[in-house]
Amino acid sequence: MKVNRRNLLSLLGMSPALLAGSQVEADQKKKGAHSGAGSEPKILAVSPKGTPPAIQLYSMAPRASSLDGKTIYVVDATSFLGSETLLKKMQAWFQQNMPGVKTVFRKKAGGYAEDDPKLWAEIKANAYATVMAIGH
Amino acid sequence: MGVPAIPMCTRAYTELANLTAARDGMPHLRQVFTPHPVGGKTDAELAAYLVNPDPVSGKQIMKEIIDDLTVPLSADEMKTGMQSIAAGAATFGPDTADNLQEIFMNNGMTDYLPIVTPTEEKVDAMLKGTSHSPDEVLRTPVQGVGYTSARWGYTVRQVAVNAVMAGCRPEFFPVVLAMASVGPLGLFGSTTSSSTSIVINGPIRDKLNMNYGLGALSPFAQSNATIGRSWTLMGKNLTNGGIPGDTYQGGQGNNLDYNNLVIAEDEKNSPWTPLHVQFGFKPEENVVSIFGGPDIRQGHGARGAGAEIAMFDEQISFMCQSMVGGSGALVICDPLVAKRLVEQGYDTKEKLTEWVFKKTQRTVKDFRESFLASFHLYPLALQGREPYATWYKLPDDAMIPFFVSAKQINFVVCGGQANAFFQVANMSHGRSASIDKWM
Repeated sequence: MKVNRRNLLSLLGMSPALLAGSQVEADQKKKGAHSGAGSEPKILAVSPKGTPPAIQLYSMAPRASSLDGKTIYVVDATSFLGSETLLKKMQAWFQQNMPGVKTVFRKKAGGYAEDDPKLWAEIKANAYATVMAIGH
Repeated sequence: MGVPAIPMCTRAYTELANLTAARDGMPHLRQVFTPHPVGGKTDAELAAYLVNPDPVSGKQIMKEIIDDLTVPLSADEMKTGMQSIAAGAATFGPDTADNLQEIFMNNGMTDYLPIVTPTEEKVDAMLKGTSHSPDEVLRTPVQGVGYTSARWGYTVRQVAVNAVMAGCRPEFFPVVLAMASVGPLGLFGSTTSSSTSIVINGPIRDKLNMNYGLGALSPFAQSNATIGRSWTLMGKNLTNGGIPGDTYQGGQGNNLDYNNLVIAEDEKNSPWTPLHVQFGFKPEENVVSIFGGPDIRQGHGARGAGAEIAMFDEQISFMCQSMVGGSGALVICDPLVAKRLVEQGYDTKEKLTEWVFKKTQRTVKDFRESFLASFHLYPLALQGREPYATWYKLPDDAMIPFFVSAKQINFVVCGGQANAFFQVANMSHGRSASIDKWM
């Protein structure tokens, strides 16, 4: 997947709204160069930002070269309006265009922000892969 | 999980999806995006989504899914290890106060109102408002994305910087620390544009000259104004929240975010148990309670004797039934309203909340068609969780309570007794915390 500049910055922990040092320093240099306020006192301000966590990187799961004979779970992860219909259309597409692929529809249990370890275990035991509809 | 997984969401959340994946440790996660929205589209339109291009990648969606599940992984996609990240510059300047205002504003660190520039001297002065060490950690940073923030951590000193920016005095600082201790901090990132209410109880209200009389919810006291403002600044800065398109998705936003509906309860003129005592604290303790929800509305009622309870009855029922279901009600009564309700026999909050609970009902059909029911409550019903499981089995015209429990309804008292008005915030209680602990 192509990662744009904003996303690359995010990998470094930089919010798009806070392009960290580079933007801030540029602002400071620009203001300093054009302020023309030589007589005004200059002060140092402390950053109000909190402390970001270090990020543990994870590898994606290895890919098979073909989906023939494989099982794919299509999971309605949030139950937003229309998501179940969309996934059932996807099942129909596989049945019509790739009949060698078996699909299984599941709804993630619980509220949209809740985990469902039972379903993840079922997928790990029975499926090659999963497509999850997150929203909206 | 250890199996190939392709998340799919609409293009409206492209940035959020990519940032979430990166913060969870998979910055190159293969994702698929459909046009927005999915909800409200016909079966034929949704079927067409699948054979038309992904609006982000330009690839036909079904082909993209097949490729994403079969194309070998790149080196980047298999990368592991720890990625250290930085919060940016530790200081800004030296520069003029005006230029620093611009720098802070242009980098998303303010609420777009002028701030008090957080110099070392001002931050040190703020830290004198607490006995706690500046380096004490209130929250440890955690990988991943929370509902309202990027789960950054923060210390007492970092909280102090934001308290300075909000215009707080050092004596307000223990209240701000108590708020920071409960987390997660606002801004609330949900598409519902929900906001916060901060209720303060205990003797500290008078020590800080908090206004709980005339105009209690308006800008007539420095403590009410700046303590509320600090919540939003902390949410933006301490936890990297409140970034539109990233950690903030509120469709219309919420004007309450400027002050977060600070309520100092008028305990002296309330005929009922103060809110913090209701939550298990002692009357002499100083406590902050955080509520969350989308809005506030005003009612006129309980003005005289006799018929007024019916007026309150009708209004409170109407106001609650137009709320977002599943959340709570925070009823803010002027002392005149509270007095009239007591005259009608509601001399305890328990009697009153039980009465509101029984009065506010709706049909099963209205419940099923409500905004939250389909994606939030129906999955709970499928799990057999009550009362939702039972409610989904009832006929459409059956009447059910609007609230799940009377405990979702809370009453507080404040106001200048200018008229018998009340307001109802569609907000639920989150957590309460001791302020005394932070003195």
